[in-house]
Amino acid sequence: MAPANALPTDLDVLVIGTGAGGAPLLARLAGAGLKVAALEAGVRHPPEGIATDEVAQAGIFWLDERLSAGNDPVSFGRNNSGRGVGGSTLHYTAYTPRAQPDDLKLKTEFGVGEDWPLEFAELEPYYDELEYFLGVSGPAEYPWGPPRQRAYRHPPLPLNGAARLMQKACAEIGMKTSPAANAALSRPQEQPGYGTRHTCTNRGFCQAGCSVGAKASMDVTFLALAEFHGARIVDGAQVTALTVKGGRVTGAEFMRGDEVEHLSAKTVILAAGAVETPRLLLMNGLANSSGQVGRNFMAHVGVQVWGQVEDDLRPYKGIPGGLISEDTHRVPGLVGGYLLQSLGVMPVTYATQYARGTLKWGPELVRHLSGYNHVAGINVLGECLPYEHNYLELSDELDARGLPKPRVHFSFGENEKRMTAHAEALMRDLWGRIGARDVWALPRAAHTLGTARMGRDPETSVVNPVGRSHDIENLWICDNSTYPSSLSVNPALTQMALSLRTADALLDGLKQA
Amino acid sequence: MTVGEREAILALLNSPHVTAPTRRALLERLDARYARQFFDEAEFGRLRALSVRLVPHDPAEMDLAGTVDHRLHSGVGDGWRYADAPPDGEAYRALLAALPEGFEALGGEAQDAAIPSIQSSHPYAFEDLLAELTEAFMAHPLTQYRFGYAGFADAPEWPRVGPNELEPREVAYGPR
Ligand SMILES: Cc1cc2nc3c(=O)[nH]c(=O)nc-3n(C[C@H](O)[C@H](O)[C@H](O)COP(=O)(O)OP(=O)(O)OC[C@H]3O[C@@H](n4cnc5c(N)ncnc54)[C@H](O)[C@@H]3O)c2cc1C
Ligand code: SF4
Repeated sequence: MAPANALPTDLDVLVIGTGAGGAPLLARLAGAGLKVAALEAGVRHPPEGIATDEVAQAGIFWLDERLSAGNDPVSFGRNNSGRGVGGSTLHYTAYTPRAQPDDLKLKTEFGVGEDWPLEFAELEPYYDELEYFLGVSGPAEYPWGPPRQRAYRHPPLPLNGAARLMQKACAEIGMKTSPAANAALSRPQEQPGYGTRHTCTNRGFCQAGCSVGAKASMDVTFLALAEFHGARIVDGAQVTALTVKGGRVTGAEFMRGDEVEHLSAKTVILAAGAVETPRLLLMNGLANSSGQVGRNFMAHVGVQVWGQVEDDLRPYKGIPGGLISEDTHRVPGLVGGYLLQSLGVMPVTYATQYARGTLKWGPELVRHLSGYNHVAGINVLGECLPYEHNYLELSDELDARGLPKPRVHFSFGENEKRMTAHAEALMRDLWGRIGARDVWALPRAAHTLGTARMGRDPETSVVNPVGRSHDIENLWICDNSTYPSSLSVNPALTQMALSLRTADALLDGLKQA
Repeated sequence: MTVGEREAILALLNSPHVTAPTRRALLERLDARYARQFFDEAEFGRLRALSVRLVPHDPAEMDLAGTVDHRLHSGVGDGWRYADAPPDGEAYRALLAALPEGFEALGGEAQDAAIPSIQSSHPYAFEDLLAELTEAFMAHPLTQYRFGYAGFADAPEWPRVGPNELEPREVAYGPR
């Protein structure tokens, strides 16, 4: 084997997964001089190879089959998690709202759900750092949450059709709106370790991958920086087992092609996402003295409302999520709250959602789809409480690698049902005001959260407040699985903040040792 | 697909408005035809007839049923399935078997009349097949042309994104 291909040895830290959880800490640790490597199941998807076509881009999603159970089965695949160097950030829409302080204190405020074992003040400097590093475009004054220490680096991106319609409709009922914070560039930016990132060309295909490097996916930001500092990223390498000796993790076994290989390290960080992380832990019987691994699976309330208007909107143009409102951050009668976002949409995604959501077929289906250029959407993202009845388990069915497929049970509770109804009524009202026809709603849940929650008490949580597993001293977890509650905002920015925080905690620990 | 449609599609696909990876994907799909490999001949005949009723199209223009057969044969999935449903191929076979005898030979109206009962007896398979056919239909360059969809022609930027702010290539694309 050529030396460049040889696996690294004497690793200080091995990271499994290169998404929003794995990438920032990889860069931080490499920058501090540690010898680090990442194993990533997916391959590299350089921007210039990205097609403006959803079917051709299926390879950036995690397509190994998951079984969806419960009253509201979650659709995975193109709806939920990524695979590739950059993880789900390859296909995220790059919405980057911050959590608000009360998001972290659900139990204190409402007596249900969970509090986070950390304060907003601990996240804030990381938010500041991230928004600058990623190059977030956003308004000069963001109307919700505490005033920020550092302004957004770039002015907001232009508002597309759906965003302008939502702006108009919200104004009519006195709802505040604002251009959203989005980690796509409204001006070019020099990216350390990568080079120049291009301005967003308004091509609207963020969920199929950005072909110009405008969107702050991890590959063109933290991973480029990590490699610049000497980190190794081994791609096409799916971890199938963690190896353990004397109560410590010694490394990971992984499959590259048909080969089974092994990498050892002093510390292992599991960042495989909220389905694969608990799956690996359960398969290996690790870090589960609390019995909490796989428990409290959450997915944001994500109902969407769609309609068609006379105007030629071209919903493929412009950043898909241009406008936001957090006026519904707290709603009387609901635990937590939600935010509203305008929605652009790619044609195939729209068509399949319409088919599944309405079950219309025949000439009626084709007639509706032929109006694609006139489609405007709006959606919410809202709190989902952790419940006993929502969990991930290993099924008896095996995948192509001979590993048990995960089965995920998900049913909305009363709060999620009430929130969906409240949000749908509001959005139908808004879309009524712009004169939309053929209005329809798609009840939906988005994002995979929970399953290895963080907390102070080893009896009720899997990792401590900085992400170290209670059971195994050198095993850390850093991905959406550690969320104790779902937050009433999109998760990626907060995940990156947690990732930098975990890296700093690990480095502090090393300094003290 | 008329000669005019084909020429218009090729003209835009081969223009500098389309990036190389996008062009490659769409040109390949434009003429894709698949040899039946997963279903047996009788099953495939029913699948094709059902496909035409669910998502009206001309199988000579786009091979939607073949796309489904090819996908099942290659073993590629979409990342999930309902826990209560058998694997896709089995589920689709059961759906097709639930159609009345001689379904493919019935008239269109009689075929449509038979569909609600398989929808209620096999809800998951029905939904999955409908979504899969819809995806293949919407992703086809001919459908995109007929719907005036030009989103793939994005090699230059889209500088103006507001309502009715169209670039010439968007205005010009699609049937008059
Ligand atoms: C369509 C869509 C749009 C979204 N838009 C937004 C948005 O606008 N804003 C926002 O905040 N959030 C958004 N999200 C959510 C966001 O992408 C996730 O919250 C975030 O990326 C999760 O980070 P993670 O580290 O937990 O997992 P991921 O980013 O999914 O990373 C996990 C990585 O681990 C790898 N992996 C898994 N198992 C293994 C294994 N066994 N061996 C090796 N590697 C493995 C995977 O391939 C993957 O690369 C969106 C999600 C979706 C589905
Ligand atoms: S809209 Fe902008 S950020 Fe999104 S994919 Fe297109 S160029 Fe990239």
